[in-house]
Amino acid sequence: MAAFTAILRKDLRLEMRSGQSTIALIALALLVLVVLVFALDPAVARGPQTAAGALWVALVFSGMLGATRALTAESENGCIRGLLLSPADRAGLYAAKLAAAFIFMMIAEGAAVVMMVLFFNLEFDTALMRVAPVIALGALGFASIATLLAAITGRSRASDLMLPLLAVPMYVPALIAGVRASTAALSGLPFSAARDWIEILVAFNVLFVSAGYLLFEHVITEE
Amino acid sequence: MARKLVTSLGVLSLILVITALYMVFEYVPTEADEGIVQRIFYFHVPCAWIAFMAFGLVAVAGIFYLWLGGQIWDDLGHAAAETGMLFCTLMLVSGSLWARPMWGTWWTWDSRLTSTFILWLLYGGYLMLRVMIEDSRQVARFAAVIGIVAALDVPVIILSVRLWRTIHPAVLVTRQGGHGLQDPRMVATLLVSLTAITVTFAWLFLVRFAELRMGTRLAALARGIALAEVRSGDI
Repeated sequence: MAAFTAILRKDLRLEMRSGQSTIALIALALLVLVVLVFALDPAVARGPQTAAGALWVALVFSGMLGATRALTAESENGCIRGLLLSPADRAGLYAAKLAAAFIFMMIAEGAAVVMMVLFFNLEFDTALMRVAPVIALGALGFASIATLLAAITGRSRASDLMLPLLAVPMYVPALIAGVRASTAALSGLPFSAARDWIEILVAFNVLFVSAGYLLFEHVITEE
Repeated sequence: MARKLVTSLGVLSLILVITALYMVFEYVPTEADEGIVQRIFYFHVPCAWIAFMAFGLVAVAGIFYLWLGGQIWDDLGHAAAETGMLFCTLMLVSGSLWARPMWGTWWTWDSRLTSTFILWLLYGGYLMLRVMIEDSRQVARFAAVIGIVAALDVPVIILSVRLWRTIHPAVLVTRQGGHGLQDPRMVATLLVSLTAITVTFAWLFLVRFAELRMGTRLAALARGIALAEVRSGDI
């Protein structure tokens, strides 16, 4: 637990002083939304359904960047060696990296939601408050698999390709559930309409956060 | 011993596949609703069963590798993933060939098709990672972890995709289990082709597994020789 807070605090302080990851994530999320606005027909690119879809595309791409950055920053300076030599357990390291990736993703998503409302002609109203927990669940789920997989793909050739190749198919259930639940929330439907999807998201999170927590020690090694 | 087993399995699989082909094309009666196209089902279903079993095997091998260690578990998972991928591809292709005349389209985002396709992508990524990492011990550990995580994902994928398509139903209705095997000859044909495909899988799997084992032994020998050379050089 001490290791968790120490590593997380270090990551957050680093981010507060440089702002690199959050800026990169926000920029990427913005670009994804812009590309989608131009890719879709203006008549189509409005309303909750397309907006929710666009938001989740932004979430997946910014998440990929977030998870990669959290771990490459450590290996670039050989800092990972120090972390592994320290008595801190690897599960704590996983939890800290997961939390950092999650926080950065949520900041980027917050910006993406604002841009989504503007680009897709939605309203700033209470529906956004109901989308927030759905996005939080989606971001946590993505961070959980991406953190585990980034530790693996960081060791492979063409790691920029390998992370999405492994993470995206694995994330499909949460992606489907998240888009549906967000659409329901943005359309102002009652909670019962999104209930099944929220349940899938929760199940996905429970499964992959615990799997990552248990398996991380097998993938994070120095050589 | 192992060699004999592989050879006899190969011969057995040849005989069984020929028998199954004969039964599919000559013996079994044509299904009333779907016509001649339905015959592809006798190969499609066994391929599906083999693909799922092989991917289960990958996960089990992964668990044993992380638990007990030992290169043999990694070779097992590796061979199972490659062979499973072959049958998963065959399942998708044969399903697509069937869907074109029956549904009027090569591909539709039906729940089973979608789940299978995602599974195919997952294990494609798994096999690609094996190529992309050089260190053999690292590969083994990473592959074990991904094999386990992918298997954990399968029930969630199936659940979510099913729900996704029920809420937005496909234009074309899936025949849920209604393949109508009323004729006992159809059941017999399915059983024979199921056995044939299973034996073929076992044969291909063992060939690949034996090859991987040999590679492992060869690598160990090469290490031993290199070590001996270093030692004799010192003296």
